[in-house]
Amino acid sequence: MNRTAGGGLFSLGYALLFFAFLFGPLIIMVITAFNSSSFPRVVPWECFTTEWFGVLIANQRLMWGLWTSLWIGIAVVALSVPLGLAGALALADLGPSWRAGLYAVLITPILIPGVVIGISTIVLWGAIARVFGAGYDSVIFNGIFLTLLGQVSFIASYTMLIFISRLQRFDSTLTEAALDLGATPGQAFRKVLLPFLKPAIGSAAFIAFLASFENYNTTVFTILSGNTFTTALASKVRLGTDPSLSALAVIIIALTLIGAMVKEADTRRRERLRTGRMARAGVYASPLVRLVAHPAAVFILLGALAGLAIWQGGRHDASACRAEILREKQETQQRLLREQQERMRQFQQQSPAVAPAPGNNPSPFGGAFNPNSLAPPAPAAPPAGANPSPFGGAFAPKSLAPKP
Amino acid sequence: MTALRRIFSEMTSRHGLGVALFVAGAVLFWVLVLVVLPQIAMLDYSFRHNLPRAELGGPRDAHTLANYRYFLFGNGAGFNTLDMGVLLKTLAAAVFVTLLDILICYPIAFILAHSASGVGLRLMVIGLIVPFWINEILRAFAFRVLFGATGVINGIGQALGFWSTPVDFVRADVALYAGLAYAYVLLMVFSIYNAVETLDRNQIEAARDMGASWWRVHWRVVLPIAKPGIASGATMVFMLTAGALAAPQILGGPSNLWFTQLIYQWFNDAGDWQRGSAYATILLVVCLVFVFLMMRVFRVSIAAIGR
Repeated sequence: MNRTAGGGLFSLGYALLFFAFLFGPLIIMVITAFNSSSFPRVVPWECFTTEWFGVLIANQRLMWGLWTSLWIGIAVVALSVPLGLAGALALADLGPSWRAGLYAVLITPILIPGVVIGISTIVLWGAIARVFGAGYDSVIFNGIFLTLLGQVSFIASYTMLIFISRLQRFDSTLTEAALDLGATPGQAFRKVLLPFLKPAIGSAAFIAFLASFENYNTTVFTILSGNTFTTALASKVRLGTDPSLSALAVIIIALTLIGAMVKEADTRRRERLRTGRMARAGVYASPLVRLVAHPAAVFILLGALAGLAIWQGGRHDASACRAEILREKQETQQRLLREQQERMRQFQQQSPAVAPAPGNNPSPFGGAFNPNSLAPPAPAAPPAGANPSPFGGAFAPKSLAPKP
Repeated sequence: MTALRRIFSEMTSRHGLGVALFVAGAVLFWVLVLVVLPQIAMLDYSFRHNLPRAELGGPRDAHTLANYRYFLFGNGAGFNTLDMGVLLKTLAAAVFVTLLDILICYPIAFILAHSASGVGLRLMVIGLIVPFWINEILRAFAFRVLFGATGVINGIGQALGFWSTPVDFVRADVALYAGLAYAYVLLMVFSIYNAVETLDRNQIEAARDMGASWWRVHWRVVLPIAKPGIASGATMVFMLTAGALAAPQILGGPSNLWFTQLIYQWFNDAGDWQRGSAYATILLVVCLVFVFLMMRVFRVSIAAIGR
């Protein structure tokens, strides 16, 4: 941490606060997944339970949506990666004026609200269906087809941005050298440029799949009557919440963390191989350390841990604890009821003169609706102190009478 | 046209005919079929009446301004203050969320670019990305758990005695703004980071040596460099916030509508696609005009977006 612009302590404190903001909500959501309370919350804590994972998996609609989302995601990757690559290549070869224009056109789908993209897609294909007289059972009215088109239109812009930043680092003399050495233009493309772009293809595919899987704004229109994972999730959240959604978050966070750690191990290994630190550093001399630090080993280890957690969680039975909680609740209820009865009895004994009507009247209106209350004030009216009304006797028969 | 042909032949000689054809075809398909034609279709649709299927192509199927008139004047006389109010409120809220994100993200972007290094930097980058692999809906759900009447914030506040009855954060829109600001933090951080990273550290140190205070260093040295990044991030955050649908549906108060929710209602509840298209067009045009206006005011070009 440097002290040149804004002290180190401030930087550290701010970074800690920032990451607390970033991870706080997620940590709390993870905790609620294991509380047996049927509303997702941390306090009051009832029982440690794993049943919400079962509830989640039993949700047919979500599971069907998951399949649909997977297929759509794969198709979106297959379409948007080539489109983004084509856009980036076209931009790389255009002159400055054309380049700015095309860049503006190809980048706008990111800026257009997703809702608008979804609507414009279904409107266009609805119009096309009318022109060709296609029926409602044709592909044009297939939600998956429409979702594919809607999502690709802006996800291709994301992939294009990735390809552009990779292409900027490409040394175009490499292609020229290949051409000079007798390669055909096609060969130069396949053997020089494509291998250079390979890492970008990987990350573009990953981003495209993630963006497709997560998308809600466009998909909720284009999927028509169907459901993807995200739209099913959204309608579940809107209708009412239970901790099975927190359980889902736990699964996704666990997968994400495993992925991130494996990726990190892989990056470090590559770096070590590149810089040759592996051979020099003493720690890596031990074959055991080298084996454990290998990304595949990390993956297997984390996967085994997750499997163990699932196995243990599946055996956990919270029913005894739940019964206990239920009994406690019932006891509390009983106790409250008894206390209430006790209070009423005491009250009855204390002020037998208050109520002219048979029995006691615990009404907050302080007996204003008693048959007698509308009668002219009797001289033997109860003293104001005996009135149990929260309105302080405002409804007492005499309160509106003119003061003497 | 000749320019395009020249570019095509240049590309053929560089990458081969197959690649040139693929690029031309793919870009044409993308621009025409996926971007331009749908927008034209939506625009055309927004000028039409909502007719039953049998009357389509009939004498009543003509262009009309009725949908836009409805947005301005409603059914009767006087302005349609309800819908226009929702649009204004959405824009104001989006501006607020954008400013909030700039405030939150500028320090962290600067720390990432110039203070952190090595393992700390790597951990911070991973820590930034990981929360955004989690579904948007689940992130909004997390804020509902956090801010609900029996949520954690209310629990802590009541336990510490700050307030005695649960505060309705959802109705007060605190949950919504916090959730929206959270959702787009990543975009803002990386936009500003990319810009600030290009700053030469020596410039900061020179300014410090000349006796500038740290906020003056930021104002006169770092901010000018960060400006394109801030503009790019702000544009994306603003457009995404104004066009957000899931977060307002999940976190919005019961009496509180987002403009996208109005569009959604016209489509899915009222079944009036034409009026929904008109409202979508209004949202698109208003947002784009606002963004271009802001870019003009702050002198930033569209080429800075997405860098």
